[in-house]
Amino acid sequence: MVEHLQSNRTRGQKKWEDVPVYNRVLLFGGVYSNYIALAHLLKNCSKMNAEAIFCLGDIGGFGPHPNKSYEYLRNTRVTTLAGNYDLSLSQGLDNCGCGYTDPRDNHFAQISYDYTLQNTSRSNKDWLITLPSLIRFRLADLKVLLCHGSPRRTNEFLWDSSSPDHLLHRFLEDSGADVLCFTHTGLKWYRQLEGNRHAVNVGVIGRPENDGTSNVWFTLLEATGKDLQCFFLPLNYDYSRLIDEMKQEDLPPEFIETIQTGWWTTCLEIMPFKERLRGRF
Amino acid sequence: MISNREIPKADFHDLETLWIQISGTLCNLSCTHCFISCAPDNHALPMMQTEKVLGYLREAEELGVKEIYFTGGEPFLHKNFLEILEVTLQNFPTSILTNGLLINENRADKLTRIAQNSHYSLEIRVSLDDYEETRNDSVRGLGTYRKVLSAYKRLWERGLLPILAVTEIREYYSPDDSPLDAFEKYVELLGSLGVLRPRIKIIPIFEMGMLPTPDSPTYITPQMMTGFDHSLLQCSTSRIATEDGVYSCPILVNEERALIGDSTLSGSLASCDLYHTACTTCYATGMTCKNY
Repeated sequence: MVEHLQSNRTRGQKKWEDVPVYNRVLLFGGVYSNYIALAHLLKNCSKMNAEAIFCLGDIGGFGPHPNKSYEYLRNTRVTTLAGNYDLSLSQGLDNCGCGYTDPRDNHFAQISYDYTLQNTSRSNKDWLITLPSLIRFRLADLKVLLCHGSPRRTNEFLWDSSSPDHLLHRFLEDSGADVLCFTHTGLKWYRQLEGNRHAVNVGVIGRPENDGTSNVWFTLLEATGKDLQCFFLPLNYDYSRLIDEMKQEDLPPEFIETIQTGWWTTCLEIMPFKERLRGRF
Repeated sequence: MISNREIPKADFHDLETLWIQISGTLCNLSCTHCFISCAPDNHALPMMQTEKVLGYLREAEELGVKEIYFTGGEPFLHKNFLEILEVTLQNFPTSILTNGLLINENRADKLTRIAQNSHYSLEIRVSLDDYEETRNDSVRGLGTYRKVLSAYKRLWERGLLPILAVTEIREYYSPDDSPLDAFEKYVELLGSLGVLRPRIKIIPIFEMGMLPTPDSPTYITPQMMTGFDHSLLQCSTSRIATEDGVYSCPILVNEERALIGDSTLSGSLASCDLYHTACTTCYATGMTCKNY
């Protein structure tokens, strides 16, 4: 049973008392075992003066040596929530629960998951169990809700072209938040909604975002009063080192090609028309 | 017979997907495997009134529905279809399930304009049933193979990245004559048309409608639902609106038992019976009628 895929909708849970308050936070999703990008980000982010750093889940998968990414997150001040990958690993499930339905997407997802499951220590699996599904805080006068896929389902894909305004409004209404942040798709996007509401896909630092460049992306959110500013920032890192390690671990050449070229070669069938059109394959 | 067995139910989670049976059971083809026996003279489910479609769209928006799928029959038979589509895409990501026969140059141009004018994705799914012409035409009708591929190419050339939807009817009719990897055959076929990024969806067949019901039907038992994630079943997150009311499943719109609620979407949001052999196919294959 894939228990983590059950609904985790937040209707009626307007728990905003006693949440932490910040003015400037750094967010990223999808480490995908890219500990080199993660380490580079954590080493260089102090100059951004973020009061808190959040990882929105899916720490393992795709890349090499998953334990290294867990250790970085466990040993730093990053607050992490659970993605579908993290939940699957912590429960020892036989698949990542990414939510793919196409056999080609599932083929590569399974290679990635089997490797990650085999190479994740018991201690790190136990840590993954402790991660929350949702995180709330205030950013100045705005209430911010963090989740992995969507507030109602950990593995829901919220692409820009597949997420209607009224659905995002409903998520925000149900949770009592002004800002909803999520990841899971691998592509960053931001939309300001009516009523000073905001939806932010914070992107991923694990692999490039299908735009032909090798850098990855993270997000900086800043607020003054009720004014929100959202910055997407590129992260350049030593991807050739990552490629060397992926080769040493016999990870699929298709994955390595993506890290090298910036074009996705897998997980393509889940992508809607508009996003797919912007890629190469 | 299903009278003496215990019927399990699928929990209802949230209405994420609304299907709209816009052209009822009216189709310009009579495919030999159609699960609801659509045909030019099948009026079992009538063409939907435009105002009724718009009413369901308004309710779907209020309920926070994520996406709309137009199906039939053949959606392009509806006289106001393109206008309805344009309105829909202003508020929803939208998909069309079509046999492609009515997508001429003019309609392809209009679809392109409509897709470009929306922030949301328009997915066009064109049906084919074999990578060999004679086999396809024996299922879908003489001449359809070439027309379907022409329509697919027309859409591809306009950058609409259509999805080719194929059923496993070849495996059903000729299990010993099926390739190990049918998918590659379709990639090869589309490649011959110059399609570099083929999007292909393979769908199991349902032994109902035009196909004979199985000699030994299998049904979902309550025990099978123990520990099963109900959200993997389409009826936990989708409904289908027709001229005659709201049904729990796009496969079961010919089934009075699948009619649910009071013809409103909000009245249909309840658990539903997993009583049909089609439910077993959904359960066993993990299939979704959605694109992905």
